[in-house]
Amino acid sequence: MFGPRLDGGNGTTLRPPTREDYDLFGRWQLMPEVTRFWGPRYGTQTPAEIEERMKKDGESQTAFLWSIAYQDETVGFTGVFGIDWVSRDAETGIFIGRHDLYGKGIASEAVRLRMAYIWNELGLHRTHNWIALPNRGSWRANQKSGYAQIGTYPRSWYRSGEWVDEWLGEAFPHTFPNEKLPPPWRDESSRGK
Amino acid sequence: MALGGTIRGKRTTLRTPTEDDLAGYNRWMADMRVRHLARVWHEPAMPATWKERLTEQTKNKESVLWSIESEGALIGMVRIQFGWDNRLRAWIDALIIDPAQWRKGLASDAALALHRYLFDYLDMQRINTTLRADNAAACRIAERLGYTEFAHGHEVFYRDGAYVDEIWLMMDRATWDARWSSEREYEPLGSRTLPGAAPRARGKTGD
Repeated sequence: MFGPRLDGGNGTTLRPPTREDYDLFGRWQLMPEVTRFWGPRYGTQTPAEIEERMKKDGESQTAFLWSIAYQDETVGFTGVFGIDWVSRDAETGIFIGRHDLYGKGIASEAVRLRMAYIWNELGLHRTHNWIALPNRGSWRANQKSGYAQIGTYPRSWYRSGEWVDEWLGEAFPHTFPNEKLPPPWRDESSRGK
Repeated sequence: MALGGTIRGKRTTLRTPTEDDLAGYNRWMADMRVRHLARVWHEPAMPATWKERLTEQTKNKESVLWSIESEGALIGMVRIQFGWDNRLRAWIDALIIDPAQWRKGLASDAALALHRYLFDYLDMQRINTTLRADNAAACRIAERLGYTEFAHGHEVFYRDGAYVDEIWLMMDRATWDARWSSEREYEPLGSRTLPGAAPRARGKTGD
């Protein structure tokens, strides 16, 4: 499924991906500037395959995917995947494809919106994720929204002649900082008081 | 790769799955004893759905599925998934033994045979798996093989009215070699003569 539009601060918005976004996602995953801690930097890129990928994502009953927009321009994607609806556990992930926008707090805001949606609309009990240990910006963004480390996977990625470990984390509804609850949930919470 | 070939253990054999196995798969996935201890491969379904799943598995280049036999009877299944961008690593994502065959050492035998194949035949460098923290038998098998824990997830699986933790385990090639170097499928080639080389003359050197 694609997630609904969620407006945050800092000019950051989560919104359902468009077909054009999927072209961007594919291109970004082939760029060295943004794949240091991402996949193998190759992939199938025919329009038909991209179309099929988007169709599968949209129809999935175990995932929610959003485009991340910054000042109304798509700059990455985030989502929650592999949802186990019985245990109410799932994996989360985020990818910023515009390396020129690193350090502007976009990931932190996107994670905040995503986690608020997961806890308040999907009713999940727990989420977990994997982040390259040197990708401090990413795991810090997740920590700010309640993630805590549960382990380290040694020598996960081989990049630029060296092995990189991975940070494993988990989050629960009660670890999300209440003061960071974004609207509309914050407004509804205030009305109830 | 999708369907595995024959791997022989001492008391079990991993072999290519067939449509005849699917009723057994369905029965195990519907068994609460199995479901309390492990993640199922698929939910119970009608026979036609199971055939579709087997067809999909046959086409899947990212994973391999085996049925497990003992004394000529189907007793379980095991499936591995290759690493996302590293095919020298794999995850064991399901290893299920028929509850009627539990406590006979068959899971241990099948697991050892599988690891021998993964390390010594496919030249894998690391195998990973996840287990429910209260699955004592599986934890013992993993520990004996040489797995070590690298992460511990809290309250991951809901079953029997409560949550149970999950442990994340890994075993590297070096551990396998140190612990199981005598566990080989074939006899070592040793110093056998190369094709075309003249055989050593017997007797002249006293051998």
